[in-house]
Amino acid sequence: MYTETYLGGGQSPASSKTPASASSILVADCGTVSTKVSLLGLVEGQYRLMARGEAPTTTAAPYQDITKGIIQAISEIEFITGRHFVSNGSLISPEQPTGDGADLFVATVSAGGPMRLIVLGAVTSKLEELAAQAVSGLYAETYALPAPSYLATSTPAPLPVGASAMASAGGGVQGRWTPERLDMEWERQLERIRELQPQAALIVGQADSAPGPTPLQEACQMIINTVEDPSDGSAPTAQGNAGKRQLPVLYAGAPQYVEAVRRMLDGYAEVTRVDTLVSHEQLGQTSMAATALYERDVIQRIPGYDHMRSWSGAAPIATPSSLSSLVRFLAQHYAMNVTAIDIGGTTTTVMMAGEHGEFIPLVNTGIGMGPNLGAILEKAGPRRVARWLPFRITDDELRQHVLNRMLHPQAIPTSLRDLQISQAFARGAIVLTVEAAKQHHFNEFDADLILATGGVLAHAPKFGQAALILLDALQPRGVTSMVLDRTMLISQLGAVATVAPIAAVQVNENDAVMHRLGTCVIPYGELPPGQVAIRVGVEYSNGRQVTAEVMSGSIEIIPLRINEQALLTLYPAPTVDVGLGPGERARAAEEVDGGLVGLIVDARGRPLVFPTDETERYARLLQWMQVIGA
Amino acid sequence: MTLVVVRIRNIEGNRHGCFAGGGKPMTYPLGWPVITQSLMRRERWPGGYNSRGVPLVRPGQEVQADQAVMILEKPDIAEAVTAFPHVVTPSASYAGLSPGGEGTQIDGRYMQETVLAGMRGQVVDITRRGGVMIETRAAVIQGVIGAGNQVAGTLTFWNAGSSFPLPGNQPAEAGVILVIPGPLNYATLRQAAGAGIVGVVASSISSRDLEDFLGANVMALINSNDVERAQAHLPPMSLLFTEGLGTIAMPARTINLLRRYHGSIALISGVTSIRRSIFPELVISLVASEVQQNWLPIQPDPTLTIVSRVRICSGSHVGVTGEINYFFTHQQSFESNVRARAAHLCLEDGSRLVIPLAIIERIG
Repeated sequence: MYTETYLGGGQSPASSKTPASASSILVADCGTVSTKVSLLGLVEGQYRLMARGEAPTTTAAPYQDITKGIIQAISEIEFITGRHFVSNGSLISPEQPTGDGADLFVATVSAGGPMRLIVLGAVTSKLEELAAQAVSGLYAETYALPAPSYLATSTPAPLPVGASAMASAGGGVQGRWTPERLDMEWERQLERIRELQPQAALIVGQADSAPGPTPLQEACQMIINTVEDPSDGSAPTAQGNAGKRQLPVLYAGAPQYVEAVRRMLDGYAEVTRVDTLVSHEQLGQTSMAATALYERDVIQRIPGYDHMRSWSGAAPIATPSSLSSLVRFLAQHYAMNVTAIDIGGTTTTVMMAGEHGEFIPLVNTGIGMGPNLGAILEKAGPRRVARWLPFRITDDELRQHVLNRMLHPQAIPTSLRDLQISQAFARGAIVLTVEAAKQHHFNEFDADLILATGGVLAHAPKFGQAALILLDALQPRGVTSMVLDRTMLISQLGAVATVAPIAAVQVNENDAVMHRLGTCVIPYGELPPGQVAIRVGVEYSNGRQVTAEVMSGSIEIIPLRINEQALLTLYPAPTVDVGLGPGERARAAEEVDGGLVGLIVDARGRPLVFPTDETERYARLLQWMQVIGA
Repeated sequence: MTLVVVRIRNIEGNRHGCFAGGGKPMTYPLGWPVITQSLMRRERWPGGYNSRGVPLVRPGQEVQADQAVMILEKPDIAEAVTAFPHVVTPSASYAGLSPGGEGTQIDGRYMQETVLAGMRGQVVDITRRGGVMIETRAAVIQGVIGAGNQVAGTLTFWNAGSSFPLPGNQPAEAGVILVIPGPLNYATLRQAAGAGIVGVVASSISSRDLEDFLGANVMALINSNDVERAQAHLPPMSLLFTEGLGTIAMPARTINLLRRYHGSIALISGVTSIRRSIFPELVISLVASEVQQNWLPIQPDPTLTIVSRVRICSGSHVGVTGEINYFFTHQQSFESNVRARAAHLCLEDGSRLVIPLAIIERIG
């Protein structure tokens, strides 16, 4: 976990508009699969969400222009409002006396896909983890490729298999690094780089290991080979080497070799020096440099970027950067621990921010509900996905569902069966992302507020479905509350705050976090089977009192609607904990809020355990769904 | 607290609250899988891991579809293919077929192969790896999923029960691209591969049959970063499925187009990469008589309007085509209870259907 104080966004305000006087703002979120545009405007002196539109993202062929999708989404807003915002392919700005046009345009982007970053040099497992953590808040993937000479001194040679085993049987010695084995490792790594087609490289490692500076030389050679690789058909020979691109390189290795590395990579790479990567405390500079690379080498290369950029005084920013600004703001403003979940088409993001500035972002770039749905099936396995379904399903049906969704990521489930399968995958996406986040000390964090967004949650037909997905997958403990952002605006409000902070705060409170699902009481510890796990005393604002006994293994909903408040008193069984220790009673210091689902008491136990008998499992799942209104 | 949405009736909506043709555009999914007249540039690059091309033509030169434009030098496949994840099935090898295709072995490591243009048009560039960029006027069919590298061949219709046509014997002669106007299965694919067919166009296939034939994990295949590497170990027959996975019929419009070009040389690529937004396609260069002086390419307009012809691409009606005759002003609820913007379709059989805009794509 690293600590970072919220500074009100990571970008300077727009220069060409006057944010203070803006009465209308168009906010676009360009995702990999879909582009969402929201119109924010003044209603009785308060910024509110006026309308929103959605369209497929158009960065791919044959359109290859991100603005086409934005304009299509805006056209839906034009349909709803009767106002015009686009003329001749450009935005009308500022707002006209007729009501047409908007004063400001703000965009967040994740459409360019993740930045692939290769980690080279003397890469230890610790450095590999640090590199991954440094970019964990970005749409970035890291791939460690330790220098062959470093591998040779730090690990036994891998045993050859298949054809290569036969080929090396005469001369090779298994388990030892022979020159032939080193050559093979070189080739393997070059093949891997060719497969990955990285957008940047990070060189790490001190020079105090046995091979000295050799890993740095090898890292440089690897980069040179990558840049010179002609297998990419995009650059025409007619232009000679003019088409050769320079690979951006972040140098976080031994300081004394930085100039030597620059000389070696002259003409092949543009080297930026950052703090030597040695500990969790020194990730900041690498993280910031990687963010800059992402914005320059991924976002700015999106087709149509320049046109989109011309609509706004502020540069479009990465969606995770925007979300992180908002999550940190909420944590500090309300002095609480906030966990945000965003399930997108290609990524699943979990961000945790504490009231004291703690911040753990994790953008799981390989896991999503669209093109990356297959990764959930691959990583979780069909059984871990199917366990959430109250009906029998074959592995083939799951695979077919995944492949069809990968090929048509914009599709929505029209049948109940399809919907339940999608929601099972949503649980899988969160579970896998939380598991990844646990490597970054996620389990130290108990959220006071869970803020959820993303298409699969925002479009859930029933609030109970969204609540159950979050409870099943996050498995929170103690007392927490859940809010669903159906507007899918929270990921953009951080960006809005950079140009119009008042609008961001007002829209957040008035619209984005308006779907409060409810307060949740989640007893944990040793829940006595077949007995009452917890007794909950509820004293409503009007003085009415209710006491509910909740059996182990069940969920109960106590009516507590939106705009209702109540005082809670919790009486857990002797072996059951609600956050103060086993059997310790708890009384809320202040009233808790109601929600669209109600006061949820989830006494199913932690971790969730499913009946082994299939029929019993279906019955249990259906029972839980029925109780919570899913 | 309630969501404030200002709903002002759109002046362009008709009395039913829907858009008139030519009115404001609606949300659209990407579409246009069939374009009968297109001006396009494609790199003639037959794929091949670690391959290099030696062009036989130069920029500015006019080429015919059956003209050799490149010598491809590629390494022996056994050395080239190493690590792409694939499942081992009995179908992973084919009697009488080498995954490297036919060619002449040189200096013991490289195979040489003559590559036909597959397109009629003008050479506009030579790429770094030796690929030949050709500008052509063509009919294009985009598939939903496929596999296999770009290959040229003669479009040949196949009817159930008839024997497979055999490819030409001359080294420079185009092979056969078989058009099977319906769903395909593993057994037929095996037969086609055994007969030396270079490409197959069909409507659909089950994911299991496709994986069994390819001997590959299709999820990994279409999600791969490295397109060349992903195709490297596949059987030497390119596949294009116009409708996708499952048992979906081919629309009459697509069949008619393919039938019209029976006997023409076409270029098929089955490469599918959702990461790279690459989808399989069949390019059929138009003959001179079709390209008159006033010929204009069709600019695919993705906008959904009244009378747009569309195809349903997901759900229980997948593959069904029809015409939009109504847009709902408000979101509609479906069996899943999901609410979404929707259109009213008039299907080809005259029946009507309310369908979410998110699962239809424009086809004409």
